Amino acid sequence: MSLGRRAFLQFVGGAIGGTLLTPIPWKLADDSAIWTQNWSWRPSPERGEITEATGTCLLCPGGCGIQVRLVNGHRAIYVKGNPDHVVNRGGLCPVGAAGLQYLYAPYRVTQPLKQTGKRGDPKGFQPISWDEALKVVAAKLTELRQKGQPHAVACLTGQSRSSTADLWKQFFAAYGSPNLYTMPCHSDSTRLAVALATGQEADLAFHLEKATYVLNFGAPLLEGWASPTRAQRLFSRWQTEQPGVPETEFVHVEPRCSLTASKADRWIACNPGTEAALALGIAHVLIREKLFDAAFVADQVFGFEDWTDAAGAQRKGFKALVLGKYSPQDVASLTGVDAEVIQELARQLARQKNAVVLWGPPTDTPNNLYHDLAFLALNALIGAFSSKAMISLVPPQPWQALPDPAMDMEAFKGQGQKPLGQPASTPKTKVRPNTVHAFFNALANGEEYPIELLFIHEANPAYGLPENALAVQALQKAGTVVSFSSYLDETSAYADLILPNHNAFERLDDVIGLPGAPFAFYAVATPILSPQYDTKATGDVLLSLAKALGGTVAQSLPWKSYQDLLKLRAAQIAQAGSGTLVDATFDPASVAPGAPLKPNFSKASDVWRKLTSGLCWVDAPQALDRYATPSSRLELACQGLLASVSANAGDELFMAHYAPLNPSGDAGELPLLLITHRSLSLAPGYVPNAPFMNKLLPDDLLLQQDVFVEVHPSTGKKLGLRPKAKALLKTPRGEAAVRVRFAPTVPAGVIALPEGLGHTAYDEYVQGKGVNANAMVEVQLDPVTGLGTVWATRAQLRLA
Amino acid sequence: MSGNAHSEHAAGKVRYGMVIDLDKCTGCGACAVACQQENNIAFRPDESNKLRTISWLTLYRLENGKDYPEHREAMLPRPCMHCDSPHHAPCTFVCPVNATVRDEHTGIVDHIAVRCIGCRYCMVACPYHARSFNWWDPKWPKTMEAMLSPEVSPRMRGVVEKCTFCHHRLNRARDRARINGEDPDGVEYTPACVEACPTGAITFGNLRDPHSQVAKLAKDPRAFRILEKLHTEPKVYYLSSEQWIHKQSDNDLS
Ligand code: SF4
Ligand code: SF4
Ligand code: SF4
Repeated sequence: MSLGRRAFLQFVGGAIGGTLLTPIPWKLADDSAIWTQNWSWRPSPERGEITEATGTCLLCPGGCGIQVRLVNGHRAIYVKGNPDHVVNRGGLCPVGAAGLQYLYAPYRVTQPLKQTGKRGDPKGFQPISWDEALKVVAAKLTELRQKGQPHAVACLTGQSRSSTADLWKQFFAAYGSPNLYTMPCHSDSTRLAVALATGQEADLAFHLEKATYVLNFGAPLLEGWASPTRAQRLFSRWQTEQPGVPETEFVHVEPRCSLTASKADRWIACNPGTEAALALGIAHVLIREKLFDAAFVADQVFGFEDWTDAAGAQRKGFKALVLGKYSPQDVASLTGVDAEVIQELARQLARQKNAVVLWGPPTDTPNNLYHDLAFLALNALIGAFSSKAMISLVPPQPWQALPDPAMDMEAFKGQGQKPLGQPASTPKTKVRPNTVHAFFNALANGEEYPIELLFIHEANPAYGLPENALAVQALQKAGTVVSFSSYLDETSAYADLILPNHNAFERLDDVIGLPGAPFAFYAVATPILSPQYDTKATGDVLLSLAKALGGTVAQSLPWKSYQDLLKLRAAQIAQAGSGTLVDATFDPASVAPGAPLKPNFSKASDVWRKLTSGLCWVDAPQALDRYATPSSRLELACQGLLASVSANAGDELFMAHYAPLNPSGDAGELPLLLITHRSLSLAPGYVPNAPFMNKLLPDDLLLQQDVFVEVHPSTGKKLGLRPKAKALLKTPRGEAAVRVRFAPTVPAGVIALPEGLGHTAYDEYVQGKGVNANAMVEVQLDPVTGLGTVWATRAQLRLA
Repeated sequence: MSGNAHSEHAAGKVRYGMVIDLDKCTGCGACAVACQQENNIAFRPDESNKLRTISWLTLYRLENGKDYPEHREAMLPRPCMHCDSPHHAPCTFVCPVNATVRDEHTGIVDHIAVRCIGCRYCMVACPYHARSFNWWDPKWPKTMEAMLSPEVSPRMRGVVEKCTFCHHRLNRARDRARINGEDPDGVEYTPACVEACPTGAITFGNLRDPHSQVAKLAKDPRAFRILEKLHTEPKVYYLSSEQWIHKQSDNDLS
């Protein structure tokens, strides 16, 4: 259509009529006119109608609500927190705030790709159509099943709290493989500890809004713990004096002076890896001075006193163990914390009505099982599990899960195989142990049986798995690697096929459960804008693969689309008739375990509409009044371990105790201890740092290509180093060039390295900066659970 | 020159200002990221040369100077202070071309990049290092040009830029007030950094309105301003219950 002169004049007239009312367009027009005259090569952003879309951030499991400003509905220009959202009430973390830089990243995979050269060759990727790619994968799946090797298919997903994860579970059950894993995190070990102590499959729910005293053993509350923005808000709440709300005292235990340590009301510095010993020392004082919740322990706890095992053998209980081995003096020499301080902490903890003990490693890795049990035991002693309910349990599936998968013979046989590499000692509980490291280890070393088809979904193990070299070796050993990554990352670089997922802002998805939160949670993430490229939601890809396989697999995944499955969730919520759809006015402090919330919805369509508009479904956690353990009590002596540890095992192997795993290497050659840590301004996970976030990094953390390790000045001097000097860092796992920051944030002999740097993939804004901490640390398999733990690595630092 | 600035300055009923609670601030940096996306701030592959990088809101690390385990650190976010010293802010005083001026109706110190000749006198004059210079042409990866905001013009090589208290958001809010038949002067609005902060550490509003939260907090016993001795009269206040932080408020930021 051509625009006549008359029409043009009318158009301008209309515009002026509008602008007279609003001076902004005048100002902007004037401004941009000058600019475009002078610098025509400068990008001039397309103008147009501005709208706002509501959604949920999917960049971590934190579940924050977002609002995105769009120009003409197709250009996303600004993301902010949804002020009406229950999780974040308007705030965001820096990763979420920089989120659009992932949507528009140059390193996105824009269409399905097939490796035509050697695996790992970035130039070998060629486009392939979706149809063809899906045919290839379906054919491979069919072939393996026909050969009776369904267990040779494996999957690693980084999105464990979404319906896609449930689809993977359903698919693997119906197809017949036990090799489904999630990226390792602390809840891998806590779920096992909870299952042993309580007999339930559940996540721990900490009622931190009600707490008057929080004793935190190392959890990086302000560096990205659990739901990061929620943790920030909790901290802020504790810092705010509110009428009628008692003040919260926050005591933090950690070897390094992190921001959480600095901002805590009190910081207790301990030797690396000794937090559990300190917890047991505090338990000793509580027991000796009779400051523990004796009624609860007498009523509900098994194994506090001495006990008799199933074979009739007399066993020492927790009381005898702790009184015998963890006196304040003994613990002081282990932890470096004064005996008086240990006593004082115990008395404070006992005095407080609403005290709770938190814990977690600084980098969200699985913990030593016996240490997780120690913190659970301390909580039991202070009555946090009692009717005060400072801790309760949230099941991973708050309502009826998916229908049982239809399983044929092949599926039963495949499912019956031992997960690749899993140690025999792994406790048999309701919880499937997530033995990722053992899996990659067996695959890399060609042990047990081969993996012919490996799926990688929303995960980047070639970078982000502690001891990432193991993942790289394993990827090279797998028959075919299929990645669903939206990005060309370190892992998808090794794929044979990349079937790109929609990016976090483009897809319909959901969030099931909020880590650490004292309520059950469900949120739907609606797409903010339509997909920018030729991508497909992985949920839908899985459904079409199931359909192509036919038979019981297709029967088990009958949904037409991923959206249908999410709508089924909404229908299940409506049907369950429990829980409430809430906005920011919901106060988690008002929730009592075991008292389900009254529904404020009726029909499934009503639930769906509200969920897609940014409301979230929440419900009360379970009350801890039933224990599904052999003793029907909370077990401090875990009888579930009888099958895992040998019959003549020492008494302490059933209970919490301090069990450090010795780091390997020669202490003479590697005299220092390397610890790693996180910061909110360094993305550690599936996405790398966005360019916006690079500006946050101080020049004594990253200078050009060099990362700084923190060294105590006395250690630095002893090593002949000077501040900012270039140095070589060596551990049993690798060597790297670094610089040193002289900082009294660590004690003598300990050095600290941040996570989130040292990428080799993506683009010039990301790659080649610093060192990947995962490549330097040593992973030690927990001898009981087989999970890969990380606490400290022997190291050497010398002048470069 | 800003005409009868002084008389208006003394009598004006609107002075936008900010209070940042350092007890709550965790140094997460969401504020600084939000500032960058809101204001089309250019970035480069290497951002570690802090004399060359462009940053309107910078996070500084403060340390108490003690040894382990008495050592403590805190983060201090620093936007432009929108200095309210009589007649002129240090930067507006030295600008030879009136590219940077204080709007005496609002107290906001603006920088009009199209007028800027890049002499950088203002950068030297500013005691808070609040100003950055465009040493290079701004360049976005092609795909990221899609996220540039049409409300703020990208700047060019050779000019200075700095925090504007999200002036375009004020214009938006004044506009809305006019359309609704309300008084646009002193209208409430929220800069991007304030909106993004997960801990609610930043409060923004009219310091001259005695009922505003920001005016009340500015009088809190925990309140201080940076380099108060220079009489630049910053309109950004800080709150802290730590004596060691108060003691550093007279030190240079560097
Ligand atoms: S905390 Fe997680 S969910 Fe929230 S904004 Fe950050 S990345 Fe997104
Ligand atoms: S967003 Fe808030 S908490 Fe984070 S650095 Fe900025 S002011 Fe501090
Ligand atoms: S802080 Fe610096 S740039 Fe801002 S008004 Fe003061 S002198 Fe000018």
